[in-house]
Amino acid sequence: MTSGMQHFFELLFAMTEKELRARYKHTVFGFFWLVANPLLQMLIIGFVFTFFMKEPILYYNYYLFVGLLAWNFFSLSLAKATSSIVFERSLIKKAAFPREVIPISILLSNAVHFLAALVLYTVPVAFLGTLTPESILYILSGLLLLFAFTIGISLLTAALNVRFRDINFFVQALLIIWFYATPIVYSFSMIPYKFIWLWRLNPLTSVVQLLQHGFVGAPPPGPAMLGSNIVATITICAVGVLLFKNESKNFDDWV
Amino acid sequence: MKPSTTKNQAAIKLVGVSKKYEIHHEKPTLVEKFVKGRNETFWALRDINLTIKKGERVGIIGPNGSGKTTLLKIIAGITTPTSGVVETNGKIVSLIDLEAGFHPDLTGEQNIFLNGMLLGMKKGEIEDKLDAIIRFADIKQFIDTPLYTYSSGMKLRLGFSIAVHSDPEILMLDEGLSVGDADFQKKSWEKIQEFFRKKKTVLIASHILEYIQKTCRRIIIVGKGTIAEDGNQKLIGRYQRGDYV
Repeated sequence: MTSGMQHFFELLFAMTEKELRARYKHTVFGFFWLVANPLLQMLIIGFVFTFFMKEPILYYNYYLFVGLLAWNFFSLSLAKATSSIVFERSLIKKAAFPREVIPISILLSNAVHFLAALVLYTVPVAFLGTLTPESILYILSGLLLLFAFTIGISLLTAALNVRFRDINFFVQALLIIWFYATPIVYSFSMIPYKFIWLWRLNPLTSVVQLLQHGFVGAPPPGPAMLGSNIVATITICAVGVLLFKNESKNFDDWV
Repeated sequence: MKPSTTKNQAAIKLVGVSKKYEIHHEKPTLVEKFVKGRNETFWALRDINLTIKKGERVGIIGPNGSGKTTLLKIIAGITTPTSGVVETNGKIVSLIDLEAGFHPDLTGEQNIFLNGMLLGMKKGEIEDKLDAIIRFADIKQFIDTPLYTYSSGMKLRLGFSIAVHSDPEILMLDEGLSVGDADFQKKSWEKIQEFFRKKKTVLIASHILEYIQKTCRRIIIVGKGTIAEDGNQKLIGRYQRGDYV
């Protein structure tokens, strides 16, 4: 069994390496795009949204940037993982390897970029004086929740997309709405109380709140929000893993 | 796909294996699924019972659409039967779709590692065999250039070299296997004969009957998803007379 596990991780890392190497091939700026993308988003959103904001958010650009980093990791991973099995059909038809390495390697390659950008982001944040020893705890739990949720939902959509190619289009549409359904550009305190249950269903609420609290000292998620978000994450993960395991036996029949 | 530990067992054992495909005439969509309800189905294999002993060389023949490819895919573990049990003993490597799984932006060496791992090799194993793989494929000069610069013959040679160096217990071949130029065809044929000498289990699905005649002792005729006949080389003659078409 350990031998099988070793092979699984070797294959997973080899696939991740492939993703990383292939991504910025033939680009002039390469790694630079990693930071340039969210930076551009931040400048534009930061400029426009300050017109609408009733109460200003402290360190708004920093607040925005960490949410955008987490969001970009999530949306890029989910969008690419959803179509990954269909995209890599030649691998599926060739050999009997564990199919989950395909979507998970996409997540890992995005995670490498995300964490690198997060480290760069920490440098200016350190001068704000918002980082405390407890920050680490909030940041790590935010990241853990983010990775767990992204893996769970990616396995789910990747498996479903093999049979129902609509899922890919559905995810693309969903991601546009989802961005506004997550407190990235606004603060959680702006949501009217009667709609809060909607955000409780969205695990990314706690993710960005934990990160925003850890880095710039914005209010952390309340226990009810954190609890319901964790339950939603575990549910999605369980459904995703089980469904992927079941469907992956017959991916070859559908691609 | 349960690996078994006891020795002197069958290399491949299929018990009551059936495979059902759903026929999708167009791209499957959610709407179609809900409107039509149940899908049309097609049984590619029905209740196959088959035991192949270690070291046997089996030729699988049959008309197009008889289920040969599905049978090989199920044995290789690429797809799963709808019902029945498949037991295999030892690593299986198929020499079908040799180029599949190469990435055009990666170098030859990076592709060897990726492809080798997809075929079930460990990283250390590939490191040990790297020189042998490169030498056999005869691509030393291009090993650190991206794969999109390779000719199709070079890619096939590399694919073949990786597959045969993964040290399979069970080897699957398709058609006449014509890889590369005359020189490389000779070399690859010698390599396959080396597998014969090492008493590896070999499965060949082909329409080229002379090739099957030359290599296989046991012949299985597949027709309409069932095993129509299972016997020795005499079956080839009967198949040629068209008894099973």
